Amino acid sequence: MRILIVEDDLEAAEAMDRGLTETGHTCTRAADGELGLTAARDGEFDVMIVDRMMPKLDGVQLIETIRREGDQTPVLFLSALGEVTDRVAGLQAGGDDYLVKPYAFAELIARVEALARRRETGSVQTLLRVGELEMDLIGRTVHRQGKEIDLQPREFQLLEFMMRHAGQSVTRTMLLEKVWEYHFDPQTNVIDVHISRLRSKIDKGFDRPMLQTVRGAGYRLDG
Amino acid sequence: MRLPRIFRTTPFRLTVLFLALFGSAAMALLAYIYVATAGEATRRTDQEITREMRSLVGAYDRAGIDAVNQSLIERAASERPFLYLLMNRDRKRISGSIEESPVEKFTGPPTWTSFSVTDVDTQGRTVKHPARGLQEQLAGGQILFVGADVGEDEAYVAKIIHALQGAGALVVVLGLSGGVLMSRNVSRSMAGLTEVVDAVRNGDLAARAQVRGTRDEFDELALGLNEMLDRLERSMAGHKHAGDAIAHDLRSPLTRLRARLETASMDVDAGKGDPTKALAQALEDTDGVLKTFGAVLSIARLQAAGAAPDPQLFDPAELAADISELYEPLCEDKGIDFAAEFSKDLQVRGNREFLAQALANILDNAVKYTPAGGAIMLRVRRRSSGEIEYSVTDTGPGVPDEDRERVVQRFVRLENSRNQPGAGLGLSLVAAVAEAHGGRLELDEGPGKVGEMGPGLRVALILPRAA
Repeated sequence: MRILIVEDDLEAAEAMDRGLTETGHTCTRAADGELGLTAARDGEFDVMIVDRMMPKLDGVQLIETIRREGDQTPVLFLSALGEVTDRVAGLQAGGDDYLVKPYAFAELIARVEALARRRETGSVQTLLRVGELEMDLIGRTVHRQGKEIDLQPREFQLLEFMMRHAGQSVTRTMLLEKVWEYHFDPQTNVIDVHISRLRSKIDKGFDRPMLQTVRGAGYRLDG
Repeated sequence: MRLPRIFRTTPFRLTVLFLALFGSAAMALLAYIYVATAGEATRRTDQEITREMRSLVGAYDRAGIDAVNQSLIERAASERPFLYLLMNRDRKRISGSIEESPVEKFTGPPTWTSFSVTDVDTQGRTVKHPARGLQEQLAGGQILFVGADVGEDEAYVAKIIHALQGAGALVVVLGLSGGVLMSRNVSRSMAGLTEVVDAVRNGDLAARAQVRGTRDEFDELALGLNEMLDRLERSMAGHKHAGDAIAHDLRSPLTRLRARLETASMDVDAGKGDPTKALAQALEDTDGVLKTFGAVLSIARLQAAGAAPDPQLFDPAELAADISELYEPLCEDKGIDFAAEFSKDLQVRGNREFLAQALANILDNAVKYTPAGGAIMLRVRRRSSGEIEYSVTDTGPGVPDEDRERVVQRFVRLENSRNQPGAGLGLSLVAAVAEAHGGRLELDEGPGKVGEMGPGLRVALILPRAA
């Protein structure tokens, strides 16, 4: 994936660049908002990672500008401001996701990959298929190897998210944000319990587990 | 030129304004009374003159000019208050009480006129009285004038006007002095409040306004001011405590982190050992510090804002159901019986996100401290006061009475819970959320001791009724 990193903290940008390059992505860096704008206009990117507060042109202005110009590249905002209102402002400016600094690197990668994936599957689907797993979004049914799996509404939403991001790591925070729409960190392992319930429904009785735990990151659904 | 202080007070200005309004009303009333009395007197006189004229014209029609003449002579003798003049066709005076007609036009329809008559008063002085009169031409061409002295009516009207002027002056004088008195009174009431504000401005946060118990708006203001100062003082104390607590809660893990990194670095320098484990632990420590930091920041921002951002009206039971759905599997996993009980058709105004987090924190705590085989119950109900109450009751060890106040303060963790994870900020954040919504947090004993269980803890987040 081609990723544009617009970040004035050079050390942080360097660390991101290294980490993303190691995971197989190509990065371009811009050290302030104006350079970021030029880079965004010149290049083709799958995802942009944009710091909110930068000299010359801040992240929100930068994204507002490129969105006005018709650029729909997915944007992940990075910010030290983590309050609800800050996040809403970032998303209203045209950001697609919002990550509060400091973050775990696994969280950043997971979100960048999720954004790129969302773009690929932008069209409206009625049927999701991952390996043996089939989800009918209209009939609200799930089958594995043709056998119907009975899911609670929330389990259905959780599996839908995992299927839409199959093959990628998704973090607990992402699940809480995207499936439950809460933006706080629970002190207990609530998400793990939900995942293990879902796992027992989709993997129990089958020869191969699909829902994997990724150490230090979260979970991944493999086809 | 600067006006004396009393003239600059709001009550005095209001008094002047009301005086102006009242004065205008009084003027309008005066004008009405003038028209009603003076106009009425003139109308009455005119009526009487008309009646007299009709009576004389009637006498002429029945018996001719001599009858009229006779009538005039008789009436003059009977001291009727009318003035008469009868003239022949050539406008020569035949008889009457006045010498000549004040009306110059002798032909045509009956003509009204105002004029004055000369009279001699009791002291023998010559005085002029205002008079009204009507002149008509009789069928035979003779001219008849009937008038009346209206001097007495006019004097009556003048008296009324005089009385009204006096009353007007009295209104102004009484109004102004009332305004001054009222201003003094209000200024005195304000002075106490102003003193308190000055004291606080000079740094004395302990200053409080005196409440006189009259339950008027000044008392209300004093109460409000005192409450505000209480909050401010608490908040200042909180900040000071937070400073100490941050130092404590962040410094120890940071010290530990630094030591770990230093040891690892020395080990690497000495060529012994793999730093991977030390680094992993250092990362974990960092996450802990960041979590604490995030919670401190949330609390500080909530307290600084003093109000929950983006409040919305919603059903509190719906939020509770959402959160239950999140926590119920966790309880089941730990062997804790989870029950929920929600009242219907309630409404609450608040920030859903913060309230969700507050409930999650309460439930996190309950799950953490309740042993397997225990129970947790989440309830939403309306109190008889109209307030909305979220409560979580568990069957854990509970919090001793004397410690309950302390656990909601920032950073406090009880001695016996040191070994449990968590930054000790959970309930402080809940308290901050409750306060930002104008509500409060209450801690009570749970269901009591049953065997090894209990006595448990009941945490209630109470929100004001949605306006």
